[in-house]
Amino acid sequence: MARVRVKTFSVIRDVLGSDVVEVDVAGPETMGGLFKALRDRYGLPFTDKIWDRNTGEMAAFLIKLNETIISSTSDMDRKIQDGDEIAFIFPIGGG
Amino acid sequence: MANSFKYGGYLGQLLRVNLTGKGITREPLMEDWARDFVGGTGLSARILFEELSAGIDPLGPENKLVMMTGPVNGTMIPAASRSSICAKSPYTGSFFHSIFGGYLGPELKFAGYDGLIIEGQANRPVYLWIDDDLVEIRDAGHLWGKDPLRAEKILRKEIGDEEIRIATIGLAGEEKAPYAMILCDIRAAGRGGMGAVMGSKNLKAIAVRGTGSVNVPNMLKVYNTALRLNELVVTNPAIQGLSQYGTPRNVAAMNEGGILPTRNWQTEVFRGMNNITGEAMREQVVKGDRACFACSINCTKYSVVSGGPYKSVINGADYETIYGFGSICEVDNIEVLCKADELCDHYGIDLISTALCIAWAMECYQKGIFTRKDTGGIDLKFGNASGMLQMITKIGKREGLGALLAKGTRTASQIVGRDTYRFAIQNKGLEWPGHTCRPFPAAAVGYATGPRGGSHHDIRPTAEKSGLVDRKILEGKGALAAEVNHWLILTDSMLLCHLGEPLWGPLQISANTIEALNAVTGWELDYEGARKIAERQWNMIRCFAAREGFTRENDQLPVRFMEEPIPEGPMKGSYIPRETLERLKDDYYAYRGWDRKTGNPTKEKLVELGLDFAVDDVC
Repeated sequence: MARVRVKTFSVIRDVLGSDVVEVDVAGPETMGGLFKALRDRYGLPFTDKIWDRNTGEMAAFLIKLNETIISSTSDMDRKIQDGDEIAFIFPIGGG
Repeated sequence: MANSFKYGGYLGQLLRVNLTGKGITREPLMEDWARDFVGGTGLSARILFEELSAGIDPLGPENKLVMMTGPVNGTMIPAASRSSICAKSPYTGSFFHSIFGGYLGPELKFAGYDGLIIEGQANRPVYLWIDDDLVEIRDAGHLWGKDPLRAEKILRKEIGDEEIRIATIGLAGEEKAPYAMILCDIRAAGRGGMGAVMGSKNLKAIAVRGTGSVNVPNMLKVYNTALRLNELVVTNPAIQGLSQYGTPRNVAAMNEGGILPTRNWQTEVFRGMNNITGEAMREQVVKGDRACFACSINCTKYSVVSGGPYKSVINGADYETIYGFGSICEVDNIEVLCKADELCDHYGIDLISTALCIAWAMECYQKGIFTRKDTGGIDLKFGNASGMLQMITKIGKREGLGALLAKGTRTASQIVGRDTYRFAIQNKGLEWPGHTCRPFPAAAVGYATGPRGGSHHDIRPTAEKSGLVDRKILEGKGALAAEVNHWLILTDSMLLCHLGEPLWGPLQISANTIEALNAVTGWELDYEGARKIAERQWNMIRCFAAREGFTRENDQLPVRFMEEPIPEGPMKGSYIPRETLERLKDDYYAYRGWDRKTGNPTKEKLVELGLDFAVDDVC
């Protein structure tokens, strides 16, 4: 099991209730596993912020895994480890 | 006339006001121009290409100011409240469109007009009063010298109607300051000096009241489209953030991603970010949410600082305020940013250009190029809130160093010399918004080739910023930039709000956009048909620039972005070297079918798009 720290902003932070939360990812220890753990813990309010209700597609956004930038669209198989710090760079639209 | 127009959503009528001869005429909107250019920016570009000669003085009576609506304005389609104000810009020297939300555009349609063409120059200050069929040029001597909000208040009392919608200039516009803006209800036509053009005509304000409505061919179809789009607005997470926190929803995320421009773009990580996020703003100063006409997003935040040195009341702050006066000047106090926003409104100056001019001066001070003697005794170091606010006032009044900064960073750096152009963050003369291109090649070529220069509404970096496309690959980025151009120009012609980006874009013209346009007009456009209109619009604007002498050489980036990599954070090392930009430009021109050498449309492309009339001027 990997225990990671997840940092979020704006409406996702509102659902998680805190700037940073600790999440235990029981398996698989991947980014996809992390999102499953978050869905299990926070339910529909979290799901609605990340997945399109109509199409079921996951929103596209960048993710900071420690100091590396990866993407929600292509890196769900990326391995995570105990102690990793992960931030969702979302939302990111223009002004 | 209004009800007989061939297409739904239009009134079929333009209002032309000649301030020199005080002539007021109503003229029919040409059906083929509506079909080929839609409205808003596209139609205005066609009109101004036709009616202006190359090389005219933007601040002379021969320039024209066109306020245009689009077919979707005034209907129940959400995020469709906007209007365009277009002219030859005194700031960039080419066609410019400044887009604003609020209520004025729909009100103009309710008064019976698709658009308003203002020409000539009044011999004394006037304002324009449009009350359905009644149109009057009225004396504005009592309004001249008043700040926009004060002038608005006087007009409402004088006309005796709180429901009128007003566009007003401030002191800067009256004095034709190059980046003067026009305040329009709760929003502003901020960029490109449209306020200076209005001021050059001695036109203080435009006040509108309309009691009509907009006809559509099939109300049920429009209703169902609006209902579906509103559901998307409510459920889309990116838009939900706008409703809750306004455009500053992204400040913290951008900083975490290492793309929050800071210290005049010396870096893109701001350590004082926590105090100026959308969340901090909501907690400390936001007192309510405001929406533009028929919009369910409610992105405008009504903010009040009720006492102390930064006492202020504003509709904002928006992200660009937070970026410009916050991270770019390294000021981490949300109350100061509210005051800065209010001061810009008070003087009627574009807050992005104002902020970037001050940041440029701060860097001059940091480097010892300016001293206290130059600044009038102000310790103009980054992070000095008081100094920044004093400098806004100096720019507003064009006093001391403010007179230099009011010219913009391009001109100011030419005057000062000493390599200060290297950190003047502008291209084509327009200072940059808060959206980086250093890690994003499509955004880079989009900014460089954009008709306005530093505008985040000619290109959106969203596709690369979100990971929808791989930001590290150069191939295909010319095509991506062009297709993003297309959804932006089509929506700027329908006058949809770009904050509805998830609905209207983000990679190309979306099915939602086409559905909204078809529902309102009764057209049956498919993607290719809509794309061809957008391509025609984009080429029309490029023709205007080409006629003014713009070429490939003008398609540049701020020097800093081509020479200085981001020094820290997750995007460390990112920049767009000159050779990369040139390669991207080749790719972009090739995709567009433009001449690689000049960067302008070819005869073949113009004929293909039905722009034959421009061939002699451009090719």
